[in-house]
Amino acid sequence: MSIPRVLNRKNRILLSELTKTDFKLRYQGSVLGYLWALLRPLMMFAILYIVFAKLLKIGSDIPHYPVYLLCGTTMWSFFTECTQQGIQAIVVRGDLLRKISFPKYIVVVSATLTAVINMLINISVVIIFALINGVTPSWSWLLIVPAILELYLLSLGISFLLGSINVKYRDITSIWDVVIQALFYAVPIIYPISMVATTSVTAAKIILLNPISQAVQDIRFNLITNETITTWNFLNHPIYALIPIILTIGLLIFGALVFRRKSKFFAEEV
Amino acid sequence: MKRPIGTRTEINLDNDIAISVKNLHKSFKLPTEQAFGLKQAFFNRLRGIKGYKEQKVLKNLNFEIKKGEFIGIVGRNGSGKSTLLKILAGIYYPEKGEVTINGNLVPFIELGVGFNPELTGRENVYLNGALLGFSNEEMNSMYDDIWDFAELGDFQDQKLKNYSSGMQVRLAFSIAIRARGDILLLDEVLAVGDAAFQQKCNNYFARLKDKKQTVILVTHAMENVRKFCDRAILIENGKITLDGAPEEVATAYLKLWQ
Repeated sequence: MSIPRVLNRKNRILLSELTKTDFKLRYQGSVLGYLWALLRPLMMFAILYIVFAKLLKIGSDIPHYPVYLLCGTTMWSFFTECTQQGIQAIVVRGDLLRKISFPKYIVVVSATLTAVINMLINISVVIIFALINGVTPSWSWLLIVPAILELYLLSLGISFLLGSINVKYRDITSIWDVVIQALFYAVPIIYPISMVATTSVTAAKIILLNPISQAVQDIRFNLITNETITTWNFLNHPIYALIPIILTIGLLIFGALVFRRKSKFFAEEV
Repeated sequence: MKRPIGTRTEINLDNDIAISVKNLHKSFKLPTEQAFGLKQAFFNRLRGIKGYKEQKVLKNLNFEIKKGEFIGIVGRNGSGKSTLLKILAGIYYPEKGEVTINGNLVPFIELGVGFNPELTGRENVYLNGALLGFSNEEMNSMYDDIWDFAELGDFQDQKLKNYSSGMQVRLAFSIAIRARGDILLLDEVLAVGDAAFQQKCNNYFARLKDKKQTVILVTHAMENVRKFCDRAILIENGKITLDGAPEEVATAYLKLWQ
């Protein structure tokens, strides 16, 4: 798969048209339509905020905690939506695969791009909330772009790998739902990592080696407050801080290779 | 998983061969019991069961199609016609043998691929067009012609689910005939529609034939084989049993049931 073929005109048209359709269809028949792309994560945030910040009084030591929390839930929703849609993409578009010939990765990428559009809308809301909350704009805000990209590439790697297994073994979808539930507590979205660090520094370090934690903490660090504990400032050796990035790239390459090998048979097996 | 050792190559040469198929084999693994699950796969492996049986669908096919030829492919249901078409289209991989496609091939395995009932007629036209490789600008310039040809009046902004099935087919056909390729693959696309629509299909085929377009048509309608084809191929049980004049093949096909 050489670069010119991957990005040729026909594939580009297909990718953009499928993404547009996915996005349009997502909110078809609902009264509030596209607004749900905004409302869903805001409501999830409201619930978490009431339970964790108000009732359990977590996070009072972090400046701008509500925005800090919203930023985390936004990126978490992005990761879950991206992987869930991506893993299912081949099966959902099975009909297309059986009727026309095109590079199969387009289906996965278009499914995840819908999540990207949603995330872009939501991150704008986070930025507006941050400004209202008194966070001062700075050039460091631009540094969230590579962190978001990393999270996207990680989701894409997982989607390629699990999506190609899911064609034959549909159990993957259900297993992934459970894994997502568990992962939610394994990354510092609702709780501040400092809470873990007071009990066990090693546990906090392990949590920060997870690429999702690393990306989310980096985004918070650059967007909201540089008091955020990140993989870079918490793990004392820079080599350790590279582990999440290596994991992400490794998973993406491995996922893409498995996908390419299996994609020849998708049309027959789906 | 066994890797396919067959090849399908797309070339662009200035000779008179459009498609060449050599020693083509294809088989499918059919699950013997429900193998769609990790649990079943695990137990099958424990018990040493393969969980599938191999079904040979195409057995050593050899043929060539020249540029400008209108070829009919006929055979009973399940004889392997559609599998062959899907291999030519690049949807399935050849298991053994060589498939060479010379030029740009546009397949129609079905009309209205990707049509979505929740989208409007107009949105479906653009989506289907994208699947055929047309850009937004190209669709903009063709849209009115497509709509007029389909004769659907003021339904453009209605959702497709509110169309009758006949209307959907008309819309799909109007888009399909815009496709430009060196080679067209058509799988039973004419088996639908009322008499007036059938007439339109016939006109379309007659025009393709006049233009010396390379066409591969899979069909059960022998009158079409006689009327349009320059040559026809009869497939039985995954083998080519006859490759020759349309009249001869049509007669042999009808004799299958005697």
